[in-house]
Amino acid sequence: MTRYVVKRVLLAIVTVIIISLITFFAMNAIPGGPFNKEKAPSPQVQAVLEARYNLDKPVGEQYILYMNNILHGDWGVSLKTGRDITSTLITRFGVSSQLGLQAAAVAVVLGLVLGSIAALNRNKLPDRLIIFFTTLFTGVPSFVLATLLLLVFCVQLNIFPVWSAENPNYFLPVVSLSLYPMAYITRLTKTSMLDALGQDYVRTARAKGVPQVKVIFKHALRNALIPVVTYVGPMIAYIITGSMVVESIFTIGGLGTQFVNSINNSDYPLIMATTLFLGILMVSANLITDLVYKLIDPRIELE
Amino acid sequence: MKKLMASALAAAMVVSLAGCGASSTATTGETGSAAATSESASTESVLNTDTSTLYINLASEPDRLDPALNSTVDGAVLAVNSFVGLLTYDENGQLAPGVAESYDVSEDGMTYTFHLRQSKWSDGTDLTAKDFVYSWNRAANPMTASDYSYLFDGLIAKNEAAEEMVANPEYDAAAAEAAAASGEEYSTPAEVYSDAALAEQEANNILVGVEATDDYTLTVTLVSPCPYFLSLCAFPTFFPVPQASVEAANTDGTNPGAWALEAGFVSNGPYTCTAWNHDESMTYTKNPNYYDADSVSIETLQFMLSADDTAIYNAYMAGNLDFIDTIPNEQIPKHNGTDPEFYIATNIGTYYVGFNVNSKLFEGKTPEQANAMREAINLLIDRQYIVDTIGQTGQELANTFVPAGMSDSNGAEFRQNTDSYTYPDAEAVGYLDPTEDAYEENLQTAISLLESAGYEFDDNGMLSSSTPLSFTYLTNEGAGNEAIGAAIQQDMAAVGITVDVETQSWNVFLNERKAGNYDVCRQGWLADFDDPINMLEMWTTESGNNDAQFGRPDETGSVPSYAPQNWDTYNDLIASIKAETDLTKRVGLMHQAENMLMETWAIVPLYYYNDPYMQKSNVEGVYTNSFGFKYFHHATKTAA
Repeated sequence: MTRYVVKRVLLAIVTVIIISLITFFAMNAIPGGPFNKEKAPSPQVQAVLEARYNLDKPVGEQYILYMNNILHGDWGVSLKTGRDITSTLITRFGVSSQLGLQAAAVAVVLGLVLGSIAALNRNKLPDRLIIFFTTLFTGVPSFVLATLLLLVFCVQLNIFPVWSAENPNYFLPVVSLSLYPMAYITRLTKTSMLDALGQDYVRTARAKGVPQVKVIFKHALRNALIPVVTYVGPMIAYIITGSMVVESIFTIGGLGTQFVNSINNSDYPLIMATTLFLGILMVSANLITDLVYKLIDPRIELE
Repeated sequence: MKKLMASALAAAMVVSLAGCGASSTATTGETGSAAATSESASTESVLNTDTSTLYINLASEPDRLDPALNSTVDGAVLAVNSFVGLLTYDENGQLAPGVAESYDVSEDGMTYTFHLRQSKWSDGTDLTAKDFVYSWNRAANPMTASDYSYLFDGLIAKNEAAEEMVANPEYDAAAAEAAAASGEEYSTPAEVYSDAALAEQEANNILVGVEATDDYTLTVTLVSPCPYFLSLCAFPTFFPVPQASVEAANTDGTNPGAWALEAGFVSNGPYTCTAWNHDESMTYTKNPNYYDADSVSIETLQFMLSADDTAIYNAYMAGNLDFIDTIPNEQIPKHNGTDPEFYIATNIGTYYVGFNVNSKLFEGKTPEQANAMREAINLLIDRQYIVDTIGQTGQELANTFVPAGMSDSNGAEFRQNTDSYTYPDAEAVGYLDPTEDAYEENLQTAISLLESAGYEFDDNGMLSSSTPLSFTYLTNEGAGNEAIGAAIQQDMAAVGITVDVETQSWNVFLNERKAGNYDVCRQGWLADFDDPINMLEMWTTESGNNDAQFGRPDETGSVPSYAPQNWDTYNDLIASIKAETDLTKRVGLMHQAENMLMETWAIVPLYYYNDPYMQKSNVEGVYTNSFGFKYFHHATKTAA
């Protein structure tokens, strides 16, 4: 187990280094730099800025300088705003992860419950209803759903403000973020639950007179969880890093907006920092997912 | 089953969409909680009745709140509401006293003496003439890297090191080699300058022409008389910044704007920034130490930091906002002309199409033929259609580059026929007649111009297939910009010219345009100050904004034979305008420069900018000037 983890961590580091290389050279290959302005600053200001942020050096050298700074814990400052990137990432990730974790919790809990209900009531009304709505939520893009929620709940019903500085409300963004993964988990759970319910060990348990509740929770659901866990790990990593669409519609200062803006602005250090941060998060989520498999199903070999 | 599901889905979509279209009755909100009322309508705007707070959307997250480092219009609006310079603008868009109560000008127009009032920073410390000396030197210092530092160039005399830096900012390969040969270390002028400046504390002495004669008297000596100098005194780059906190936040000298990155920084205007939730909201609170605090009635300004059209518009309609500066294009016809909450402010600026005069499009032509081709394209564009269907806010059709409404700095509007100057198209007051009535005539002229450039037409007035003409129109993302591209494409198709519209993201677009990697592209310029030189000096060969590439060599190392020749004449003309002290003569020279520019037809003026915004009926006293600055300090808000 320990050997496995060490091996995976080493692999993860290699992955992150490859991500950093690709990102660094790709972003430098895009025409246009961070100091492009419609109204051009004077050449001496350009020269000062380029020297200050090492942009006057060859790209290879820039990369080495950058990685060296990161190893010393210095993520630099945003070229656009001059703001410290470490604290920016912490604040932004705080906002996005708070939203994302709530949304993930809603998605997992409701998804498992609804999926189980659908499986246990196969082809009956609850199943039909659940499948109808999950199809709707997986089919409609998030910017449409989020805009609809805004129009209905903020403008029509006036339950929440569209925007408020004093009392920002996270209810609608959490709903918008959770609908898709919830629907997906529901469908996954239903399928794998049906599969599990048809297995010999469930029939054996039932034949031995094990109560229905115990059959469902101990025998069927536990085994039905494997595909769900495979999905949930990366999903959480994805959802807590923010969604540009949802953040923009509900005016939330999360990581998603920051990430997209950094690319549009050619804000090199910020692009690198957000990409590496997301990369590390994804790699860790995958590793944790694999470890959780082992917990759920001890038969799985981790080598 | 599948079919049933599909129709059920469709039905659900219809129901939910219909739900958005329907409207219930509108009610105004209760005091302080307009948003929380249970009933409202999507089609009628709800009032916000919290009378002590004004809720505003200008744009998304501002880049910089340091007035010297700001280069955006929304940033300038935030700056004028939290800082005040020597001068400011009043309700009528005229210059008015700011920190300076009065000023004297010397006979020769070179020396200005400002008499400052006794005022304080928001932290209670005194604001003196020394603060202006510090702030102007800081803004002019290349190490501060202000985008607008060039405004000081040629305006106020600088010390030698600074002049050297301006003249020679680039890395000098020969000098570096010589240094290496003699075993010395080479530093770029930027490095030399920064070291010298730090070592000798020269940073405060860059502008030798700015002096604090005593605590409340500031003397400014100009290099030559500058008719727009006073309007610069009301421009954010010239605002005072608090030296102590600026320096404390930037100890190593690499982050000059560090003092104003979060809320709570010191300022001297009507409001101070007291909370800043990035990409969400910003709170500006009344500054009790502002010298005219008694006249400020709204206690708090709350800014929504968003660029999402739909969210902004709906927040306004639902009563969460009182003032919005962005209106979705599709909503404009609904409000324009009928809604008293819909306002249009005039701006000084021109939306135009620019040619790259070095483009291969003109290869094999003489400069005159290239001019004729560009003139023809100028004449073929239906500006009225663009304004009616895309701009939609009644923008004035443009036929000059120097925009309508811009002053000539000699007491009159620049764009008019006078005794000493008449525009080539005297009746239309410009270089062509852009109205729809002139279209047929313009079309015929365009065809004969193209014929003079060697193009052949068939009997139907279409370009012959033996002499095809096609180019790529480069534009940046944005519904309006792309629609204008499509309109131009259609206009050109009328005579058989093929246009490809290429859309790029903003940053890539800027880069390609500056580098001259295009044939024809979208351009626009909002004036920084009210003088035609702001529009004209950008076309000198060395200017960073010379996107048309006038006077620049192509990849062969020389100015192409088809591009305008001897552009130095234009460069010299701009230099002589800057040196001219007789304001009447100066106006004549500026007309001459615009003529020279427009003779190349490398600029296709489409319309002059204006600025639509919406403001609730219970709000009064917000005013704006022709640069798009909005002043909220005299706003009042009633409960109904």
